[in-house]
Amino acid sequence: MDAQPVNKPIVEIVRATKIYPPDIVALEDISLSVPYGEMLFLTGMSGAGKTTLLKMICGIEHPDKGFVEVAGKDLNRIKDKEIPRLRQQIGMAYQDFKLLADRTVAQNISMAMEVAYHNIRSIKKRVIELLQKLRLEHKHDALAGRLSRGEQQRVAIARAVANSPALILADEPTGNLDSKTTKLVMELFEECNISGATLIIATHDEHIYQGANHRVLELQNGRFLPQQGRSALT
Amino acid sequence: MKFISTIAVQTSRNLQKTWPTQFMTLLTVSLSVLIFSFFFLIYTNMIKTGEKLGDDLRLTIYLEEEPVLEMQVQLVRKITNFSPVEEIRFTSRADAFNRLATQLGEDVDVLDDLDPSFLPPSIEVYPKKSLSTLAQIQRFSEYLSTLPGAIKVQYGQEWVERFNYFTKLLRIIVFLSGILLILTTTFMVAYTIRLAVVARQAELEILRLLGATNNYIRTPFLIEGFLQGILGSSLGLAALFFLYRWIQQRFTGPGILQLVDFTFFSPMIIGIIIAASITLCIGGSFSSMRKFMRI
Repeated sequence: MDAQPVNKPIVEIVRATKIYPPDIVALEDISLSVPYGEMLFLTGMSGAGKTTLLKMICGIEHPDKGFVEVAGKDLNRIKDKEIPRLRQQIGMAYQDFKLLADRTVAQNISMAMEVAYHNIRSIKKRVIELLQKLRLEHKHDALAGRLSRGEQQRVAIARAVANSPALILADEPTGNLDSKTTKLVMELFEECNISGATLIIATHDEHIYQGANHRVLELQNGRFLPQQGRSALT
Repeated sequence: MKFISTIAVQTSRNLQKTWPTQFMTLLTVSLSVLIFSFFFLIYTNMIKTGEKLGDDLRLTIYLEEEPVLEMQVQLVRKITNFSPVEEIRFTSRADAFNRLATQLGEDVDVLDDLDPSFLPPSIEVYPKKSLSTLAQIQRFSEYLSTLPGAIKVQYGQEWVERFNYFTKLLRIIVFLSGILLILTTTFMVAYTIRLAVVARQAELEILRLLGATNNYIRTPFLIEGFLQGILGSSLGLAALFFLYRWIQQRFTGPGILQLVDFTFFSPMIIGIIIAASITLCIGGSFSSMRKFMRI
């Protein structure tokens, strides 16, 4: 992402409401400010609005009311040609992985770097490095469609962080992982955070944020719970 | 450089995945170019032949009586007043008889019992090249038949008319095959690209989510269109060239091909056909991608 503006949050959501037809309220009048370099956890039951919130931050969904600003860009007013540049700097690990089943693990991870026109050598190097960190090096040439859910989840995470984006969004990144692999993934996220990336992680798994010194916000029926919602507003 | 290498990788991936449809499109483009350029080649050669025949065009006016010198001057003035001509030649009865005798050669004795003045005198008019259309020739011929003492005007009407109609027919065929070329090339390429887009919808959606620019998504498809155009037209023209050589080798000697100085396209025409095919293919590809980009 471009140079960090002083005292400006990387994500700023002001009184955003999202309603899916016919009248399903996914998010209601929520406000959130995430400063650069923070690691934030979003918790809440299924259907609480975590995924919608992440999709709004990366510009897949737009609020019906209020506004979302990422890296100083109002996503309601952003020009079409600016969207790719913004998305290249947001790494999103989707809950449904969004992998190409007929492509190898390496090719799936490479895609994120190819769209940013990194050179082939640096792409290969980064892919190997990430696979080693996530203990998937032996799956380098395996087709993504033939992997287990847990392996696919790790590939999706590797792709999200491959480009060293300034903002990483992870939707249930450990939902299919055992405790050992969860630890590997969290180590990778911590490493990215130390390198300066901002992370917003939506999760059910309280083990991954318990004991850590990070902000945790709980969503319920599209709203932040009162005690945590207040703390979310800066 | 990074852009070029990335796009090259993307394009080769696309081609590997969709080569059967790409191959069929390539054949269709080649065939369309072959059909169009075949008729166009015949047409251009017929036009050339027409010009050559036009150079030899001669209208002969048969007269009742040999015109005296004053009459000749008057006739020349009347003819040139109506239309400028290259040359006007008067042929007396005796000249006509001598010419026939020369043409008969060894069989000249058939004329022995005939009166040397049995052939009518005539005027041979060689019109300027500007008199090129059949309608102009017909109008000129009609005027010449009204000259004092004229019995009949001949210029090989039937042959000229047939040639003219044949050229007109060819022009229509070239026009229709040109439309066929435009439609098949544009639509086939557009549909092939659309099929490829639909087949790779999931991938393209993911690419968009990862931040692929329109250029990143569009350029490989445009390159595919370019390749279809250049390869398709080159194959079509190569096939036509072999056909042309085959015809030349087998049909040389006396006959129509000797009358028609059959030549292949000039390098400039070849370049124009290839460039037009490339433009059409890229156009087809672009229109498909534009629809996808709007989604």
